[in-house]
Amino acid sequence: MKKIKVSHLVPGMRLAEDIFLPNTTVTLIGANTDLSVEMIKRIEALGILEVAIDETEENSKDEKEKKLIPILIKNHERAVTAVEEIIKPSSEYPLEEQVIRGLANDLLAQVELDSSLLLNLTHLKSYDNYLFSHSVNVAILTILIGEVLGYSKEELNQLGVAALLHDLGMLSISPEIWQKQGSLSTAELAEIKKHPLYGEEILKAGDFSEEVLAVAGEHHERCDGSGYPHGKKGKEISFKARILGVTDVYDACISFRPHREQMTPQQALEQLLTEKEKYDPVVLNAFISVMAIYPIGSLVLLNTGEVAKVIRVSKNNPFRPELRIYFDREGRRLVKPPRVNLAEDKYNTLYIDQTLAAEEHKKFMSMLDQD
Amino acid sequence: MNLKADLINPFLEAAFDILKRMGKTEASRGQLGLVSSPVKGDEVNAAVGVTGDLLGQVVFCMSEKTAVKLASNMLKGLPITSLDELAKSAISEFSNIVTGNAVGELGDQRYICSVTPPTVFVGRGVTVSTKDLDFLLIPLQTEIGDIKICIALRESDS
Repeated sequence: MKKIKVSHLVPGMRLAEDIFLPNTTVTLIGANTDLSVEMIKRIEALGILEVAIDETEENSKDEKEKKLIPILIKNHERAVTAVEEIIKPSSEYPLEEQVIRGLANDLLAQVELDSSLLLNLTHLKSYDNYLFSHSVNVAILTILIGEVLGYSKEELNQLGVAALLHDLGMLSISPEIWQKQGSLSTAELAEIKKHPLYGEEILKAGDFSEEVLAVAGEHHERCDGSGYPHGKKGKEISFKARILGVTDVYDACISFRPHREQMTPQQALEQLLTEKEKYDPVVLNAFISVMAIYPIGSLVLLNTGEVAKVIRVSKNNPFRPELRIYFDREGRRLVKPPRVNLAEDKYNTLYIDQTLAAEEHKKFMSMLDQD
Repeated sequence: MNLKADLINPFLEAAFDILKRMGKTEASRGQLGLVSSPVKGDEVNAAVGVTGDLLGQVVFCMSEKTAVKLASNMLKGLPITSLDELAKSAISEFSNIVTGNAVGELGDQRYICSVTPPTVFVGRGVTVSTKDLDFLLIPLQTEIGDIKICIALRESDS
């Protein structure tokens, strides 16, 4: 239990003791209640100065997640390593379809375990093995979109395989080019733009379906014809490659790359929607259903002034995700950040006013990263 | 004091602000009106309940075309062609925020209220009735079509 100034209360904090109407024994709000916006207003209006907040109570969801997170992180790392080990020597040995299928199935199982937590993890970016973590993260996102589109398990597996292998052709290009700091020369860019062709070529040697080949070859084609290598348009691009077009760009945008600024999840989403003519509207819709308007990992400003991080999204309710409030109205870091699900009725008058601008986002993120 | 007159500005300010920031459109006010229940709705109607020091209903009415455009703008320009679940959630959130902000503004004066989750009704010929309450009508003209706000609120007895 901890006494907290009323001006530092945030929604979702749990009362440790009853609050009485001043100078009476009439209970206004009972102990163990999670505070709503209205309750905090009411407490302020009554001129109460301090209330007792319970900071020991562990949310049952928190406990469950605490157990699950290390498992998911380990599986994620394992998947990245496996992709690296399997894909890297592909110039010497042909890829075995069965092995990649197994990997895709592992990812499928992880997505089913807890997709929101997994999406949180895909934001844990490593800098040195970008290509492989990118392949795994894109596969996760792609599987999630496939689920929204109603794909069967078998189709989801194929989608996962295709996503894991989409950038295979990059291995045929000198790492000095794709890891280069600063902008690329015209010749280097032309070489990069060949990776879909290289990928398709390598896969032809193995036992892969037409679809997997098409995804590798067409994931940089764009619906308006502005893509490469062939400048295909709309339905000339296979549907699965159109899905990859979206997930590949999104993950690349939120990743750390040596040649440009890393984007916030919100910026990446806006980038996709600004250039919406490049993408399939059905895929964009499914993507918004999965990622919501405020994607997981975004820092947002609430209408009451607190800063929170999006930790879960609920289907068909893109405006009301689940949050963890990290900073109070005065910008002070909370010791025990409460968790608030905006989809709950009691938090109806609480809403996301805006996402933080990139600079602010970075500032608050670095404060969070310190522990 | 006149509750209905006090309500006009908070609702106008909240609606203008949210339409501009989330709906990406400017709005202007039409002729205010006072009608007795029931009030005739539009193709898309979102009803929000208010509880606390004020009690009653606020209903937002608009054409389907306007609703689809408003939803698309709120969803950062996502291409939307029909009033699907995603679009309805946007209309629902719009109504929720405008009502929440407006009654929140009143709260800074003397009322503390909560709003209940909006219900979205789609279809022609919808009428909204409330028990012994008149509706205050605030018609708004926007670049994406007309939106009518119908407010029926009274002070709670306790």
